[in-house]
Amino acid sequence: METEEFRLVREALRAFAERYRCASAEVKPADRAAAQQALDALGLAELRASTPPSATAQECALLAEEHGRYPLATSFLGTGLLAPELLRLLEAEDGPVTCDGVPTVALARDLRLPGRGTTDGADLVGWDCQGADGALWVADDGTVRWSGLGTPTPTTDPLRTVRALRSDAPPAVLGRLDAERRQYWQAWALVMVTSELVGGARSFLAQSTDYARERTQYGRPIGSFQAVQHLLADATVAVEACTSAVRYAAWCLDHAPPEAALAAARVAKAEANESAVEAVYTGMQVFGGIAQTWEHTAHLYLRRVLLGATVLARSADLLPVLAAPAQA
Amino acid sequence: MTDDTLDFGDPADLEQLRREFRAWLAANPLPERLPDEPAAVFLHRWHRQLHAGGWVGLDVPVRYGGRGLTALHQVAVSDELGACRAPGVPRIGYLAHALLEFGSEEQRLRLLPRMLSGDDVWCQGFSEPGAGSDLAGMSTYAERHDGHYTVRGQKLWTSYAQYSDYCLLLARTDRSAPAHSSLSAFVLPLDREGVTVRPLRAANGDDEFCELFLDDVRIEEDERIGAEGDGWPLAMTTVNYERNALDTGHLSKYGLLLERLRQVLQDRRDDLPDGLASAVGRCVADYQVLVAHARRRTAERLAGQGAGPESSVDKLLMTRTEQRLYETALKVLPEELFREGGEVFGEYLYSRAASVYGGTSQIQRNIIAKRLLRLPSAG
Repeated sequence: METEEFRLVREALRAFAERYRCASAEVKPADRAAAQQALDALGLAELRASTPPSATAQECALLAEEHGRYPLATSFLGTGLLAPELLRLLEAEDGPVTCDGVPTVALARDLRLPGRGTTDGADLVGWDCQGADGALWVADDGTVRWSGLGTPTPTTDPLRTVRALRSDAPPAVLGRLDAERRQYWQAWALVMVTSELVGGARSFLAQSTDYARERTQYGRPIGSFQAVQHLLADATVAVEACTSAVRYAAWCLDHAPPEAALAAARVAKAEANESAVEAVYTGMQVFGGIAQTWEHTAHLYLRRVLLGATVLARSADLLPVLAAPAQA
Repeated sequence: MTDDTLDFGDPADLEQLRREFRAWLAANPLPERLPDEPAAVFLHRWHRQLHAGGWVGLDVPVRYGGRGLTALHQVAVSDELGACRAPGVPRIGYLAHALLEFGSEEQRLRLLPRMLSGDDVWCQGFSEPGAGSDLAGMSTYAERHDGHYTVRGQKLWTSYAQYSDYCLLLARTDRSAPAHSSLSAFVLPLDREGVTVRPLRAANGDDEFCELFLDDVRIEEDERIGAEGDGWPLAMTTVNYERNALDTGHLSKYGLLLERLRQVLQDRRDDLPDGLASAVGRCVADYQVLVAHARRRTAERLAGQGAGPESSVDKLLMTRTEQRLYETALKVLPEELFREGGEVFGEYLYSRAASVYGGTSQIQRNIIAKRLLRLPSAG
């Protein structure tokens, strides 16, 4: 996309987020549906639909950051970025694929990437389900399946809908990805999920920094106290670290072999799992008492990054992989 | 910092440059260090050898003795050197940038080619016993006379001053003006009357750091760099480049140590203390994040952004990476604690200085708070 065109797309998403950002954890179903409809109307799921795609992975990742900036009950990752890309990869391999309704992706019950023995979908849930009718997943052998969505299952993030898969019909097999495309898909999913986490951490840190300039105690802004300044500076370093890591990984999706992109994506997720959470902790500390209340959005950010750090891959999954010798 | 898309890729000619450099390196390998040859003398021989091949100052314009390429080309050379365990390119990039930005055309033409070639060896005279973190509070004073100055004072941490020909010196030229607008920069030839150099021994045994005593040293007016009062902005430009992970060429050294640690883990996989694999994985992530971060900074610089206060973020990230890496290395290689003079322990000791030199981690946090986050000053 041309720079100007991309900026317009991002402006549209930013305007949407400003308009539909959630002020609290209680969002009425009708409001969720209206927000999803407004997001869908931006047509972002089409960004990768043409051949070649009109948006790069790097641009999609920046949009995911944008969607992460405010608490939103809409599904952009699942229905806008992850499932459409999975279908695109599948079609690049097998030709046109038909899929009933709007899909999101299915993950293991603990929200990691589906592991072994996930052919019947019994141990899976649909993730980021707002506006979705079904969920797609890739088994170890590359087979891509689809299942309808069942009843909601609870998580600590009230804005992200997770639902069981329907057990009354066997999953439909849509096709199969080769090993390279499977790596690409995993890297894509890690990058987009990480980008949304990074967007949330950046935004919440910026909000708490603004607050530190305004809030006065002892007759001066708390942001003038060195103890507070150093907290915010350390969180800034953490946020810049995960920003660099994920933006580089996104670039790798466009320009590097899938194996290299997956390696960069794992690094980015491992970094964000720690540093996005650290940044939100810092932001909450700076907001102080107000951030401990139900009506403040701090806990929405906290819930999102805390659960986000477990989505697809946890640090405990990633770090031992990163410690293995490079040639192994 | 930008939120637009960036090109993290290498310019097309970079791979070609890397190939040329590898071929040159194969034909011109690192020389043997002579018995009892001081490290600085050995490194200086290496500097001249690199320069003879055209591998110093790649990002300096041709008319000043460089090759007119980009920072990325210079980084690629550092990278290749680190990958074959050779010492890095001489750390003069930040001094060269100070002269490029603040020197007169005459000074640049006269000083830069000889700095790059190693004909002249340079050191930096910024810190003082009483002016460490509070650099602007320095007391070395250059008193102005007709056409020259007389300088009195003492400098500290002037790396390799005992082997240097010139010092980039900061001194106060106005006792009444505020600290930040009263400093000026000078080119001081170290053989000048009144200059005394005394080496210090560092915790790892090296004699890198020196004290510099200046007793009524005469400096000519045309040896001043920039105008009177330009000293502080010049110092900030210099330390911004110095802090940048890109310009230090340490990255590939970390990569090599990590590869060794990963291999040790693999060999001892049945007998590993709890959490050690994850600790090494964390170091790998730190390192790869730093590589990605350096690429982002390079891309931003190629897109037209100079080194600014963001370099404090870079310095803290580099410090995090280096200190955690060497702490972990001593856990993976505990035998290193039971011998004297080992390389890993020497580098570990040096890593403890990472949060002090080039501005302490606390000073970096102050800079981030004030200049990046625009937080208010303490009243």
